[in-house]
Amino acid sequence: MKLIKCIVRPNKVDEVKDALTKLSVSGMTVSEVRGHGKQKGHTAIYRGKEYNVSLLPKMEIEVVVPDRMVHDCIKAVMEAARTGEIGDGRVFVMPVEESYKIRTGEREVE
Amino acid sequence: MSNPARGPATSQPSLRARLDAARDTLAAATLRGEGGRAALAAYAGAVDDLVSELFTDALGATPQAVVLALGGYGRRHLCLHSDVDLLALFGGPLSASHESALAGLLHPLWDLGLAVGHQVRELDDFARIETDNPEFLLALVDARPIAGDRDLCDRFMARVDRADLRAHVMAALEALTDERHAPFNNTFYQLEPDVKEAPGGLRDVAAVRAIARLTDPSLLQQGPSDAARLDDAEEFLLQVRSILHLDARRNQNVLSHAMQERVAALLAYPGAQPQARVEHLMGDYFRHARGVARWLERVRRVAPAPVGPQLVSGSDGVRFTDPAAALNQPERWIAAFQAAIEAGAAVSDDTLAVIQQHADRYDAGDFFPDAARQSAWLEFLKPRPGLYARLSQMHDCGLLGRILPEFGAITCRVVRDFYHKYTVDEHTLLAIRTLERLATPPSPGTPPNGRERFASLMQDLERPELLVLALLLHDVGKSGDEEHVAESVRLANGVFDRLALPSDAREVVEFLIANHLQMSTVAFRRDTEDPETVRRFAAVVGVEERLKMLTLLTLADVDAVSLETLTPWKAELLWRLYVDTYNQLTLGYGDELIDQSQSAAQAVAARHPDLPAAELARFLEGLPRRYLQLFDQAAIARHVRLARDIHPDTVHVSLEPKGSAWELTVVTLDKPFLFSNISGVLSSFGMDILRGHAMTSPHGLVLDVFQFTDRERFFELNPGARDEFVGVLEQVVSGRVDVTSRLRRRQESPVHARPRRVTPVVYCDNHASQRYTIVEIVADDRLGLLYRVSRVMSQQGCGVDLVLIATEGHKAIDVFHITQAGAKLSPAAQDALVASLQRLLEED
Repeated sequence: MKLIKCIVRPNKVDEVKDALTKLSVSGMTVSEVRGHGKQKGHTAIYRGKEYNVSLLPKMEIEVVVPDRMVHDCIKAVMEAARTGEIGDGRVFVMPVEESYKIRTGEREVE
Repeated sequence: MSNPARGPATSQPSLRARLDAARDTLAAATLRGEGGRAALAAYAGAVDDLVSELFTDALGATPQAVVLALGGYGRRHLCLHSDVDLLALFGGPLSASHESALAGLLHPLWDLGLAVGHQVRELDDFARIETDNPEFLLALVDARPIAGDRDLCDRFMARVDRADLRAHVMAALEALTDERHAPFNNTFYQLEPDVKEAPGGLRDVAAVRAIARLTDPSLLQQGPSDAARLDDAEEFLLQVRSILHLDARRNQNVLSHAMQERVAALLAYPGAQPQARVEHLMGDYFRHARGVARWLERVRRVAPAPVGPQLVSGSDGVRFTDPAAALNQPERWIAAFQAAIEAGAAVSDDTLAVIQQHADRYDAGDFFPDAARQSAWLEFLKPRPGLYARLSQMHDCGLLGRILPEFGAITCRVVRDFYHKYTVDEHTLLAIRTLERLATPPSPGTPPNGRERFASLMQDLERPELLVLALLLHDVGKSGDEEHVAESVRLANGVFDRLALPSDAREVVEFLIANHLQMSTVAFRRDTEDPETVRRFAAVVGVEERLKMLTLLTLADVDAVSLETLTPWKAELLWRLYVDTYNQLTLGYGDELIDQSQSAAQAVAARHPDLPAAELARFLEGLPRRYLQLFDQAAIARHVRLARDIHPDTVHVSLEPKGSAWELTVVTLDKPFLFSNISGVLSSFGMDILRGHAMTSPHGLVLDVFQFTDRERFFELNPGARDEFVGVLEQVVSGRVDVTSRLRRRQESPVHARPRRVTPVVYCDNHASQRYTIVEIVADDRLGLLYRVSRVMSQQGCGVDLVLIATEGHKAIDVFHITQAGAKLSPAAQDALVASLQRLLEED
């Protein structure tokens, strides 16, 4: 099992969600986050005054998938979230040692 | 002195004989111990007849004149030597002929030996409260007309029956009462009492009745004793006073030891010895005086505060003084909620119950029978503390649903989705609460919550009540199963008709309802980093005022979905879209010119066939596209007409009141220092410029529109003010008068000195527009700021082509689109200009 954590543009979140759903990814967690990568924000001007927008609003989507689906998921996220401009986001993949269902207490296996 | 104009009917002997007869009758009644209310009213009636005849002879032919009785004479408690207090009132300005005619009324009264106290006033004198004459204000409480123009009298009564005036009279009455009681050591146990002035005397009886009339007439039914006891006390005191006047042959009101025996005898108190009769008399006196004093103490303690016409605010909230009358006057109900907001109180439960019981009798139109009630409704909707709570009360008692049946139809309406947590009606009211909170200054020490930037937009709105109206109606389409936005717009149009909403306001509210989902869609679901997304959204919005309104509406709408919906993250996205769009609208608009085929331009042509197409086309040519979004069709047609026959040095001007402000429109031909001169003239007359737009077409036609406040009420108070203003404007624009010296006199006055609150900002941008260098100034809003800033630009050889003027509280935000020799400024010229402007603002 792997945890796939995707940081994407807010306007891309629906497309990413749809792409993952098509792959039959059963559950996901979506959060509103703020941060920066290489994009490092930019300078905005309002009423003659500059202000630095260092943390940009992004969306974070987390899914836990079987190892065999990781590649397809990453590909689907990339295709859905990509615009080609700086600021498209990141995908992180992390191993998941164990997973339990709280309601039943059962341990999940791939 | 006799008046030659007087006819035989009112000849002096006849008047004298009639007055003497009336006085003899009163004297005879007094000697019988019956000089109380009835006898005094009969005497007052006889004096009324004399005054009425004299008035008819002297002023009968004068239009708009009326004479009124005031004070004790107004109450018909006229003793033999009481003052006959009169108010001669005129509808128009007083002239010498009025004064000589008045002599025909007053001189004969003086000749008759009456102690006449007279006031001569114009109706307009009562537009403002005369705080320096509390006795006169109090005397007005008992004013009643004797003769003359009843219509004028009604207008006068309406003018003085104002909540603010009544509150002021109440305060004056309390102060005068305390002042009057002080010399008596605040006790009614006086061995030789003044039956008029002392505590428990006649003035106190009048004070009890005045307080009830000013606040709540039902107070007279809730006294410490039966209301008849107050009447008895008054009757007794008047009988005594009549004897005192008769015996002393003057206005003598002290019941001295000597007079006590005489009064006791005339009032037929029992007892073999005078002393026994006096003891009975004084026993009665103290009993009555104590009753009066208790009445006064009670009404002073429990009297509610007058807060509106026939509205008072007591411990239970705001209520009608006469609920039985109010239930038949639905047009007055909204005023109760308005008064409650102003008084920081709720509407009382009793009042809500009355409204709830009777609301079904009325239709929507009954609440807005005239223009005054229509605008009162919009006034009520202004976002401020208490609006949500009062709207909720109005909704709970069923009134809101009667006023706006479209809103009534979404009462408790449930729309199932993943997001909304409340019924549609409550969602709407909660959205209004968000606006109310944005409009409420935070109390000191409140930690910032990230909404301050949105609150700053509220301050800048010209008509925030339209935003509330839009919110009230934005979801009314959810009453049906159709697509709700279009349905909300359709239903809202019915409301606009009932409110007779002017076309410009109508367009704004309709725009907000029609686009109420647009901004959240773009902010949360589109790529706002793409300039094209922002450009397209800016094109939808058109002008900053609408952008600010839509931003606030979106914020409030999202915030009212549930406690968790408006996250700081979403607020940030919304704010960024606002900023990017604002910059697009204010910095980039100079590049987007009117396309003659644009539908708005064609609509103007279709609506005003009297404007030749060529003339309209020529006027619009080269103006920025936002011009068509800023002004409605009627205003555009006005501008085209103003531009007719324009020559160098001619200035065509229109100056109109606009709400509580004024709007000046100037059309002329471009020349150096023009903008600076026009704004300088406004400042030299002390006007506070709030917002405005200056535009220049490529063929040199200049259209400047300024909205300003006239704090000194120059235009209102001076009949020739407009002509004087336009005259000075023409002289300054043509170069015949230098505005600098005019302005300096005002600027040097300490009256206009304001503390510095804003660190001035000068921002220069050569990229946002293809045609212009843009200079944005943010600084303290001081008198003459626009004049000085634009003058520096002109002095450096810049042409000031487009200007946007805005104020936000005490902050001025002005954006200038300028060129030098027809092109953008070079980097060196920009630096020089910025340095000069910085210097100017820092020295300011």
